Amino acid sequence: MTTGSDDLHVLLGAYVLGGLSDDDHSAFSEHLRTCGRCQTDLGQVSGLPRLLGLAGPEGGPLMATGATGGDRPPGGEPVEEANVARLLDEVGRRRRRRRGWLAVVAAAAAVVLFAGGAWLGPRLAASSTPPLPATHVAAAAVSGSGVRVDIALVPRGWGTQLDIDCEDMPTQGELALWVVDRSGRAMTAASWRATAAGYSRVTGATALSPSEIRSLEVRTGTGKVLASART
Amino acid sequence: MPLDEDAVAAIYREHGPMLRRVVWRATSDANRVDDIVQEVILRVWKQAPDTDNLRAYLITTARHLIVDQHRAAGRRPQQAQLVEVAERDSALDRALDQVLVEEALGRLQPNHKEIVRCLYYERLSVAETAARLGVPEGTVKSRAYYAVRNLRAVLDEMGVTR
Repeated sequence: MTTGSDDLHVLLGAYVLGGLSDDDHSAFSEHLRTCGRCQTDLGQVSGLPRLLGLAGPEGGPLMATGATGGDRPPGGEPVEEANVARLLDEVGRRRRRRRGWLAVVAAAAAVVLFAGGAWLGPRLAASSTPPLPATHVAAAAVSGSGVRVDIALVPRGWGTQLDIDCEDMPTQGELALWVVDRSGRAMTAASWRATAAGYSRVTGATALSPSEIRSLEVRTGTGKVLASART
Repeated sequence: MPLDEDAVAAIYREHGPMLRRVVWRATSDANRVDDIVQEVILRVWKQAPDTDNLRAYLITTARHLIVDQHRAAGRRPQQAQLVEVAERDSALDRALDQVLVEEALGRLQPNHKEIVRCLYYERLSVAETAARLGVPEGTVKSRAYYAVRNLRAVLDEMGVTR
């Protein structure tokens, strides 16, 4: 079998995969010496044999001619709508949490005073609405408690606005945010009812200015401290 | 800004099955597959990457997540030996490459799969392949040419650039 020199480049495929007759192999090797295009092409595909060698026997389970990605569990079947719903739930959760961070990250005066636990929220580049300057506190969960609490302290003329973003909270009972001033006096700045999702975002208020707040605590209705932060 | 829900769901529907296969076969842990795949999609949602190769981005992200989890597992005191971690990482990389190559082969059109199987995996000659498939040798050669180019393109798209 002979191949015209114009058609020699097509031999590249079988040259790489194997199977060329001796004559064709010699012809292509000769051609390769002078053909820049084939040299370039070969450079791009010369790694394929090694990669093909990594696949399982016969190229693996997807190589069956009729296979369209029909791999066994848990594989090729279309994603289940339940999983799509689960994904979107998680997107919603993180989007709400992100809002809490937005105000902080974009704020000129944003300072993370205390990063509690191992929880560092997602960073975001910019917000379209200029937020109020806020100081930002991530409350550390006390041991035995898995809650995540994020509190933005927004200075106001009347005191401090407290934007509370928390999740993995108890799902029953009442919850409250306590502020403790420099003299150790504690007072409630917000209270709310636990949600079934364990997530809530509420806003509280205190007459104290941010600098007068020594610490913040999230407590249950029975007074058990779930998380605390020092400013 | 992050992507909207519709875009996230669309990415998940399109790439979810492939990601699940890759993660499943790289980790062999059915319990973690859905969690890892979900985390991959969530990262894409969060970062809204400006990429014209989303598939490669997804696979690279999955690889990082799997490697990180393996390392985290390796920090358990009874397993904390550096050599083992290194070995496990490289074994994991091999496993991922294997999965990706198999995935790429699965994406070839049937004609091209046949040619790769005959010429590479079964070590048949061009003439033998032509006889097996009942086509002229010239057809085998040109199919081999396009099979190789397509396979390279699919692997590039998956971020396998070696």
